[in-house]
Amino acid sequence: MKILIADDSRVMRQIVIRTLRQAGHGGHDIVEAENGRQALEMVQTESPDLVLSDWNMPEMNGIDCLDALRAAGSTVAFGFVTSEGSEEMRQRAATSGAAFLIAKPFTPEAFDDALRTVI
Amino acid sequence: MNVLSFFDPSAADVEAPDLDDVRSVTEDMWMALLGEGEALVTRPVPAGSPFDAAGAWSAAVTVTGGWQGVVTLELDEAIAREVTARMLAIPSVHDVHDGDVADAVGELVNMVGGSIKSLMPGPSTLSLPSVAAGRAAFASDVREVCRVDVAWHDGPVRVCVHVPGA
Repeated sequence: MKILIADDSRVMRQIVIRTLRQAGHGGHDIVEAENGRQALEMVQTESPDLVLSDWNMPEMNGIDCLDALRAAGSTVAFGFVTSEGSEEMRQRAATSGAAFLIAKPFTPEAFDDALRTVI
Repeated sequence: MNVLSFFDPSAADVEAPDLDDVRSVTEDMWMALLGEGEALVTRPVPAGSPFDAAGAWSAAVTVTGGWQGVVTLELDEAIAREVTARMLAIPSVHDVHDGDVADAVGELVNMVGGSIKSLMPGPSTLSLPSVAAGRAAFASDVREVCRVDVAWHDGPVRVCVHVPGA
């Protein structure tokens, strides 16, 4: 399985990769994007099975990236990893077609629970 | 860092987050990133005291919309570097670059700010974090409504919430 991690923070991309490993999902291919626009392009070029995306990013935020993907016909599994876990954000994510929203700070268990819904 | 604010000047009586909630959000974030055994310790600091670290890093996020406020994080320089090393799994703090610290400290304030935003009336928007080496300085059109002073490995850490209104 190939996972695309989109976050403008290199620190957070590393923490997500580490947490995936701790959650028992360390064997996947990982590719990284620094913002939503790059993630949008990399879904085309890298064909990931899952996108794990931050919400708040420069250039293009995560929700605009998801909307653009769905508008283009992409059905790639998409989950948010974001500091904003309010019910309003969860509903907006679900309406746009996100499979889950993991709120920062997170645990390996939260990752495992979320990934099991798409793997 | 001069924390600029772009609030709606007509906003009045902006609600303040509960101090215990801000403390809890800060402690939870810290332990989630650094481990259960790395709790922050409460640090009694007189009201109005400037952040007293010899060297500091600071970061801020702004919330606008249903609730308006600025959330800032200030850390002792050595603590900022140690936390960054831990977050990036860098074995020695001597190998931590300023860019790494800026990234890590920005992510810390993003997490605290996002959590506080979730506790307050919405809908609202969280800004991208701004980060600087040095203490945070606030404009005169905001007032402090919440301050958490804690310590980690004897180094001071401060989280503040400011809302519009002199």
